[in-house]
Amino acid sequence: MNAPFYKYGLFQDEVSLVVAFVIGIGFGFFLERGGFGNGRKLAAQFYFTDMTVLKVMFTAIVTAMVGLYYLSVFGVVDLALVYVNPTYLLPQVLGGLILGIGFVIGGYCPGTSCVAVSTGRIDGLVYLLGIVGGIFVFGEAYPLVKGFYFSTPMGQITLPQLFNLPYGVLVFAVVAMALGAFAAAEWGEKKLGSRIVEN
Amino acid sequence: MKQKLARLGLNGRLALIAFTLGLIALFAGNPYQGSQVTLDAKELGIMVDRQVDHITVDELADWIIKGRSDYRLIDLRPENDFSTYHVPTAENVTVAGLTEYPIQRNEKIVLYSEGGIHSAQAWMLLKALKYRGVYILRGGLEEWRDRILFPNIPENPTPDQASLLETMKEVSRYFGGTPQARGQGKDSPASALTLPKLEMPSSGSPAVAGKKKKKEGC
Amino acid sequence: MSTLARILHLDKTHEVHIAHVAQPYWNPYLSGIGLGLVLLAAFVVMGRGLGASGAFSSLVATGLHAVAPDHTTSNEYFTEYIGDGTQHPLKDWLVFEVLGVFAGGFISGALANRIKPTVEKGPRISRRNRLLLAFLGGGIMGIGAKLARGCTSGQALTGGALLGVGSWAFMLAVFAGAYATAYFVRRQWT
Repeated sequence: MNAPFYKYGLFQDEVSLVVAFVIGIGFGFFLERGGFGNGRKLAAQFYFTDMTVLKVMFTAIVTAMVGLYYLSVFGVVDLALVYVNPTYLLPQVLGGLILGIGFVIGGYCPGTSCVAVSTGRIDGLVYLLGIVGGIFVFGEAYPLVKGFYFSTPMGQITLPQLFNLPYGVLVFAVVAMALGAFAAAEWGEKKLGSRIVEN
Repeated sequence: MKQKLARLGLNGRLALIAFTLGLIALFAGNPYQGSQVTLDAKELGIMVDRQVDHITVDELADWIIKGRSDYRLIDLRPENDFSTYHVPTAENVTVAGLTEYPIQRNEKIVLYSEGGIHSAQAWMLLKALKYRGVYILRGGLEEWRDRILFPNIPENPTPDQASLLETMKEVSRYFGGTPQARGQGKDSPASALTLPKLEMPSSGSPAVAGKKKKKEGC
Repeated sequence: MSTLARILHLDKTHEVHIAHVAQPYWNPYLSGIGLGLVLLAAFVVMGRGLGASGAFSSLVATGLHAVAPDHTTSNEYFTEYIGDGTQHPLKDWLVFEVLGVFAGGFISGALANRIKPTVEKGPRISRRNRLLLAFLGGGIMGIGAKLARGCTSGQALTGGALLGVGSWAFMLAVFAGAYATAYFVRRQWT
């Protein structure tokens, strides 16, 4: 099979927009199923009372990573054609810190706030307006931060390349780490937990 | 064993599956397909026979003049030759560098080399790698010189040839060449003539850059 | 009771369907697997991952372009999202994907009776202050997401599954930033 289908030209740009919408529906659906449309549930992650964010996120990462790995090993997907974001280390670390701060103050991240809005959360809507404002500020300040924005470039580098280890070893390491984190999360929730339920 | 599995809840079972898959991944090998390919010899053979993947220099000249940007023109010659002269809008890639070069498999690719051998070989490589629209500039740069840059215009054309010849002259000048009257003897081959400077054509050169960047990130 | 219902934690207490009683969220690992499969589908079909904040950049750039075209085209950052005019800037993969996210969230919420106009907050903060903080947090998030070239979907989830170096560094930084700040906004949530 020739996957990724789009990169092999099996369909055109117009069709890709339909694909985008369908994939988005799946994305939004499972975000909401996991409780990601609820700011309290998301924020609880950072008070160790409800570790759903960690569980859902790392389960998704492990699922997609393992699936992609095996599909590539069996020759279904050409892994080299899957787009990997280039690394710019310092801006990404600083951006991550800032984003984390915004996450716990606002209660959402961009994707989850969309789900919050469509399930009626007013704070989600206000949060979305905030994002629009933040992007505007960043765009206006872009000439000032451009130098930093392109600093410490490392190219489209992956962890196997960085550590010079086989891809499969990293897959195993991430799975093991995730399972360890899940075990710790379950234990922690039992100790301190008050899982946030819908009410 | 079975009893132990039964006592494991859903989460435990999922964890077990994940762990097993992770463990196998340790030994399952490299996921990158690398440069090993398989190809359908018959399908390729038919395409070669039918010559469906040839582009004439006239067509290419027409595309460039019209400023079409729905294709990528690839010059397979060495860098030195490329910097001396290349067809406007061409990108310089060696055959070995092709697999690493950022072209998508759904893009229209036109290959040319000095004659046609390199582009034919590169065509085979790209086809095997499942690139869809790969085309060869028939006759390569030699033909481009002979027909586009320095077309042979007879001194006394017949009336029905005249309008075609006029167009050829115009095209030639557009690309900075000079129409020639060499006669049939080919005593002065076109390759001996001075190639136009690279900045030609200065006017109406199609803008390849400036397209909306394909942002694939978040 | 079917296995599926049991898996989805719809045990006996919830089997009695009273209208407008919100159902509990799914087992997080099952939601995660679902999310992971959607991400995998994006990899297989498109050769790219998911995203969210990029769509809002397109939106901001388009809106700005409508209000102040000259100003927008003189800004290097927004121009990238506007393009050369051959295509409408909102005719973009991420924009359509995010529209789908709105729809998918609505479908899931509606099926589980979880749609209601409300403000999510802890008991110790007023509605007004919560909304102010939501706006502030969104603004900070917007700046951070643009600086990091992506948000939790595009960087952490997608880049994490692809083992991207920057994405993993980003992910750790997100958790670090959030945990470091959590104490100062605890009155909002607990």
